[in-house]
Amino acid sequence: MIEALIIFIGLALLFGLLLGYAAIRFKIEGNPLSNQIDNVLPQTQCGQCGYPGCKPYADALSKGEAEVNLCVPGGTEVMILISEITGREPKEMNAPDEDTQIKTTAFIDEDICIGCVLCIKACPVDAILGATKLMHTVIQSECTGCDLCVPVCPVDCIEMRPAETTTVNWQWPDPADAAIAAITPDQGSEK
Amino acid sequence: MNTSLAQRFIQKIALVYPTAKRWLYRFHGGVFPPYHKSLSLRQPIRPQLIPDRLILPLQQQVGQPAELLVEVGSYVKKNQLLAQSHKDANKDLVVPVHAPTSGFVEAIEAYSLPHASGLKAMSIVIKPDHKENAIDNVLNVNGALPETPQAIKEILFHAGIVGMGGAGFPSYAKLPKEKGKIHTLLINGAECEPFITCDDLLMQTKAHEIIQGAVIVADALGADKLLCGIESNKPEAIQAMQTAAAKTRVEIHIVQTVYPMGGQKQLIQELTGIEVPHNLHSVDLGLLMMNVATYAAIYRAVTFGEPLTSRLVTVSGLGLESPFNIQALIGTPFAVLANAAQPKVEIDYPLVMGGPMMGFQVQDNQVPVIKTTNCILANPPEPIEMQMPCIRCGECMDACPVNLLPQQLYWYSQSHEFDKVEKLNIADCIECGCCSYVCPSHIPLVQYYRHAKSEIKVIHAEVKAAEIAKQRHEFRLARIEREKLERETRLQAKKDAVKKQVADKLAQAGDSPESAVAPTQKSSPAVLAARAAAARRAAKSKATSTKDHNEPESDQLSPKTPVQEKMPTARRKAIEAAQKASEAAGTEKNPKTAAKNAAMAAAKKRALAKKQEVDAPPFESNDRPNETSTATSTEQRAANIPDVTDASQSTQTPDLTLDSTSEKLTKEVDDVTQNKRQKAIEAARKRARERQAKPPETN
Ligand code: SF4
Ligand code: SF4
Ligand code: SF4
Ligand code: SF4
Repeated sequence: MIEALIIFIGLALLFGLLLGYAAIRFKIEGNPLSNQIDNVLPQTQCGQCGYPGCKPYADALSKGEAEVNLCVPGGTEVMILISEITGREPKEMNAPDEDTQIKTTAFIDEDICIGCVLCIKACPVDAILGATKLMHTVIQSECTGCDLCVPVCPVDCIEMRPAETTTVNWQWPDPADAAIAAITPDQGSEK
Repeated sequence: MNTSLAQRFIQKIALVYPTAKRWLYRFHGGVFPPYHKSLSLRQPIRPQLIPDRLILPLQQQVGQPAELLVEVGSYVKKNQLLAQSHKDANKDLVVPVHAPTSGFVEAIEAYSLPHASGLKAMSIVIKPDHKENAIDNVLNVNGALPETPQAIKEILFHAGIVGMGGAGFPSYAKLPKEKGKIHTLLINGAECEPFITCDDLLMQTKAHEIIQGAVIVADALGADKLLCGIESNKPEAIQAMQTAAAKTRVEIHIVQTVYPMGGQKQLIQELTGIEVPHNLHSVDLGLLMMNVATYAAIYRAVTFGEPLTSRLVTVSGLGLESPFNIQALIGTPFAVLANAAQPKVEIDYPLVMGGPMMGFQVQDNQVPVIKTTNCILANPPEPIEMQMPCIRCGECMDACPVNLLPQQLYWYSQSHEFDKVEKLNIADCIECGCCSYVCPSHIPLVQYYRHAKSEIKVIHAEVKAAEIAKQRHEFRLARIEREKLERETRLQAKKDAVKKQVADKLAQAGDSPESAVAPTQKSSPAVLAARAAAARRAAKSKATSTKDHNEPESDQLSPKTPVQEKMPTARRKAIEAAQKASEAAGTEKNPKTAAKNAAMAAAKKRALAKKQEVDAPPFESNDRPNETSTATSTEQRAANIPDVTDASQSTQTPDLTLDSTSEKLTKEVDDVTQNKRQKAIEAARKRARERQAKPPETN
């Protein structure tokens, strides 16, 4: 009887110490849920979700304060990921997915730019280069395509253009599409 | 003896059980397609053919485009450098472009590339003058053999040599920097694809160049072993190579004829027994393999200073009457070569670049020969076999030389589960086409893998871009925060300085009232008023400083700082005094009232600036009508507009109260206010954006 008590108390102490040690040793910094959500967000930093960036949206989601379907650039895919992480019901996207799928980047018409620096202030990732009264330009590789600089330009010289297809980013077509295309007319003729 | 007995035995078995041949080599899988090699071997190498125009894309198979050095209309000589790299060549994989023959630059335009996409890229079009005016020894070699890896890399770079077996990776980038890292240099003479015979003929005719090229590279890299693998179906090439290698340390190995024996990892495994792990390159293991044509090009570059401007190309296919091999100039359009081989019917179908297994159809038959074009194939289109569902027969798995699970890859590729495809190591797939070849259901498996690979590439690029965007955004937030802090400290420092000055002044004034406040002042009441005002201000600013300190609005004063700091102290003092004086003089001579007024004006100014900041957003909302503006923000805007007008009117007030006696001062104050206003608006805009974004959706 006594032995059993001693053994169990001993075990309880041992595991308690182990757990306590593990809690300190393997402590995760920050809010893990919010970080996890932040990792699946597209990081466009466009604010279309109603928060001033992806991280704030992730924070709000982790606190359960925001809907899961607010990230427009992420589309349905990201919405589903978010609902999986947060364990909440997926919701229909409000905005249609299609027109957000094509990645665009901002281009500044350098002849028109008056150098008002407004776009620099609007850019969430500092992808615009320029100085007061000097021509501005966009660092294409850093532009997230968030559209935030377009409305602030007083002379409307910024436009969003779809990324150019080069041999580097060209994609092989999906053979399934080709197969369907090959099969469909056959069926049509049979009928 | 033993081995050959076993081999003969296996060959016997293979007559009844064809896949028994797979026991004859070291790697897994492999297929035995009909080779059709004799087609193009019937003729000797054709003499050079100079087409009407040469198209030289600035960008080769891999890497970035080179920078142009010529203009339209300029005359170029053979071997002349046309485009060069100024960028980091190692990172961007830029390959210089040389003129294959002499002539005029006819155009610099976008032309279709010999790439599966059919995309266009900037190309130099040369109209040859058929004179073959050449610049000899363009690379300025002096016959000395390169001693170090660096030296040979330099030559390879300037000669524009790329891997000529197919991938087209720039050779200079492939070679390691450190001497002795490579212990075994391998020569790939397997040429396993059906129809292609250019390497075979090259070995028959230029065996000496290949062997010498390999020895040069081995010496420069400090490799002591040299192995060459040639498939058993090229007896003449083996003969020639063995003769040429007789007095060198190059070992010629005859390897089984199986597709894909010429695959880099497959041939390495066959020759050395080492299976290159999936996450490593052969170079990491001290092995370097290059194609025979690459070695021949290296030899010519090192000994004659010749850049790579032509290559041996097989023109073959079932649609041609007399297929041949030709030393084709880089830039020769495919159609010119195909038509020279007497097509049986007019070629209105797409030609194939490369062999039937790994090649691809070009989108335009006028695409030029590039450094990696080993074969131009004209096979009339065959009826496409109807694709059937996968029956899980496992044939593809048995045929895969990389030991992948093609049926699983296919399954996840067609259902677009790219993460699973990636876990199944699709990155190791060499796109050899063995699986598609054996599949009884005629599934174009490789097409699925190619699509999946490019999708995965895009996904990776997106993840990387998102990571960068996140970092940049976080950095930006940190920067804004830091700037705010800096502004505050600057402001605080300035305030302290002013306080000190005022205290000093007051102390001085106690001693000699007149002399302290400068020659600008005439009337003593004004001076008195100024002093009193200054005292009040000092007190006031002390009182508010704590409050200001904690508020971002405090940046209202910051624009003043640089202006004032730049001024000499005396001048600043004078201006300050004048300001106070004019404030006093502008209202009343009574020091008390003056002081009160001054204090009030100051307070007003501050309040105003603050107000401005709060009210500024409507400006912005007006500026951005097509933003994601919700009903709330419109209301906000409507409600706020009167305030704005107020604010902008009252902004004038402080200026109006100033006396015109100090015009300069007014101007400066104006500037400062202007600055202030702009800053405030911008700051407010920023905040407004955040605020505007926040409210409605949360409920
Ligand atoms: S809507 Fe824009 S800011 Fe919001 S989470 Fe999506 S990408 Fe990030
Ligand atoms: S907002 Fe427009 S005008 Fe102003 S700097 Fe940017 S691009 Fe130029
Ligand atoms: S194409 Fe890829 S999966 Fe198919 S056999 Fe070749 S290496 Fe294996
Ligand atoms: S060979 Fe074709 S049918 Fe057989 S398992 Fe592979 S994909 Fe399926």
